[in-house]
Amino acid sequence: MAKVGEQDANYIRRVIVMQRILEWSGRILLVLGFITPWLWLVGVLALATAKILDNMEIGHNVMHGQYDWMNDKHINSKAYEWDIACDGKSWNRVHNFEHHTYTNIIGKDRDFGYGLLRLSNDFRWRVKNLWQFITYLNLSVLFQWGVAYHELAAERVFFGKKKENRDYKVPHSELKTRFFSKGARQLIKDYLIFPLLAGPFFLWVLVGNLIANLLRNLWTSTIIFCGHFTGDVKTFSEKECENETKGQWYYRQALGSSNIKGSKWFHVLTGHLSFQIEHHLFPDMPAKRYREIAPKVQKVFREHGIQYNTGSFFKQYGSVVKRILRYSLP
Amino acid sequence: MNVLLNPLSNWFSKQFFHHTSMAGYIEPVIQLFKPSWRDGYYRAKVVVVQAIANRTLAIELKTESRWPTHKAGQHIELTLEINGRLVTRVFTIASSPNQAMHEGVIRLVVKQQDAGAFTPYLARLQVNSWVNISKPKGAFLLPQSGAVTFFAAGSGITPFIAMLHQNLHEQVDPIHLVYYAKANEHLVVAELESLSNRLANFTFTLLSRSSDGDVIEKLSEFHNSKWLVCGPNDFYKTIQNYAEAHQISISSEHFSLVNLHVHGDEKAHFQVDHGGIKFTADNQQPLLAQFQANKINVPYGCGMGICHQCQCVKKKGVVRDMRTGKLSDYGEELIQLCVSQVVSDVEFKA
Repeated sequence: MAKVGEQDANYIRRVIVMQRILEWSGRILLVLGFITPWLWLVGVLALATAKILDNMEIGHNVMHGQYDWMNDKHINSKAYEWDIACDGKSWNRVHNFEHHTYTNIIGKDRDFGYGLLRLSNDFRWRVKNLWQFITYLNLSVLFQWGVAYHELAAERVFFGKKKENRDYKVPHSELKTRFFSKGARQLIKDYLIFPLLAGPFFLWVLVGNLIANLLRNLWTSTIIFCGHFTGDVKTFSEKECENETKGQWYYRQALGSSNIKGSKWFHVLTGHLSFQIEHHLFPDMPAKRYREIAPKVQKVFREHGIQYNTGSFFKQYGSVVKRILRYSLP
Repeated sequence: MNVLLNPLSNWFSKQFFHHTSMAGYIEPVIQLFKPSWRDGYYRAKVVVVQAIANRTLAIELKTESRWPTHKAGQHIELTLEINGRLVTRVFTIASSPNQAMHEGVIRLVVKQQDAGAFTPYLARLQVNSWVNISKPKGAFLLPQSGAVTFFAAGSGITPFIAMLHQNLHEQVDPIHLVYYAKANEHLVVAELESLSNRLANFTFTLLSRSSDGDVIEKLSEFHNSKWLVCGPNDFYKTIQNYAEAHQISISSEHFSLVNLHVHGDEKAHFQVDHGGIKFTADNQQPLLAQFQANKINVPYGCGMGICHQCQCVKKKGVVRDMRTGKLSDYGEELIQLCVSQVVSDVEFKA
């Protein structure tokens, strides 16, 4: 961490510049689609890439506090808000706290299967698990809404039995307000205002935005599943983790995640979550540094005989699909 | 126009770009063309960096044209990007508003601190590079009329230099300056001499504590004037007590060095101010525990510095990161309560 400094500040600013350029050229090209649909297609891809950068390399990492040291009022975890349906504060609470502290402890880390999928024998098999691959596809398509709904579902705001003794940090009414207001803003922005600005090309822009959002959803969902639910990922019980030491915490982080191999650009587009293991060990280290430390981490793992779970994108994705299918049966 | 446009564009930016201001949204893009262009700051170009005495720098900055001109005696916050991180310190402007108006240039006279986290970087500033400044702030100004006595100590001379230069253009009553510093460490003496030659109403005395004794011995000479004091806290306190006892009008700008408790494991206590709610904290436990013990509700999570839930804005004071032992900066920054201990009085935004 001692090396973190100017390079990292310049890097995140460069990525933000890239995101802005992609976003605006994308939005303009969508309208220019009337000249030739190819322009529209490039526009969709540019906008989707911008949304992926905003979600992964900028949003996720800035909100993890990786750039808080810069003391920049626009690039820090308190101020940043991303371009997805999920309210940043809500994500911060559930993801940064629950998921990163209690990684893969069944019953505490609600990211494990999101309450929708059965991904280990820790859960009882139910009939609905038979078609959980379809559920998984639906979740991927609507991933931003899944993320947005995550905290409300966890707190059982709308359905399910409310636990009397739970320490609610935020009142339900506020959770609801934030969920609906952020969600509505996103819908109005992408499917009403920007299309209206395009006048006669309303539909071009609307469909373009829809596809860009869809591509972003599919991409983020896939990367996140590959980081957490490959075949080798281990789970833990609450009992195992009582009074765990700092070392045991690291050990759990190591076994609870998996990496994806890829090129430099692939890593940037995943927000370096292709280095999920390193991310779980050092969540607030500027993510680009994971590339540097990964060989060292791998060496430490080897010395201690810990499995370092990594592979190509297709290998890891195949393993995720297998896991979802395997546990759809009892 | 801006009054209308800003709220509108900021509303738009909040709804569509999730940024509190439009400027914040486009900032990294603008920076490609205009280095150091920042939302909420002014830009200034470094024109001169010059050592004028032992460990003392004179820095001249050309301010951007929309910068509101200061009044003599006011200060600015100067922000540098040091290794990717924005660091801010306060400096009094040691040049006249007149110069700022006509040449667009302001001057700072800065005493360098050994092993400081900021001033050593000032010496390395390149001519033609850019820094950020705030608008002028402060109400330490020259009275409209009447005889005046300035009391300066050390680098507390700076606001008076600005006032004297401005005084060249404005007719006022007698001004006398009493300037304390370590022997032979008085700043800008040649400039003071030239000013006293040009200004009929200005005289000054240079004093040092070792040879001229305590400031209090000199005070009785100046009963019939208004007093302006600028210098360290102790210096100011001495003069203020005297002025109060003798019913003399006094205004001041004094800087207090933060009382750090960095070394040693022995227990020490400090004041914590959380948006007006005050309590005492020790330097042994994490701040989060002490907030909770004082029944101050703050969000928290993992308790080990990972989840950033207990992060809050420290406005003043220094804390230590318990994981690395690293000390925070003095000014405003984000810190995590669960892994921070106090090493000075601190103030938080509620």
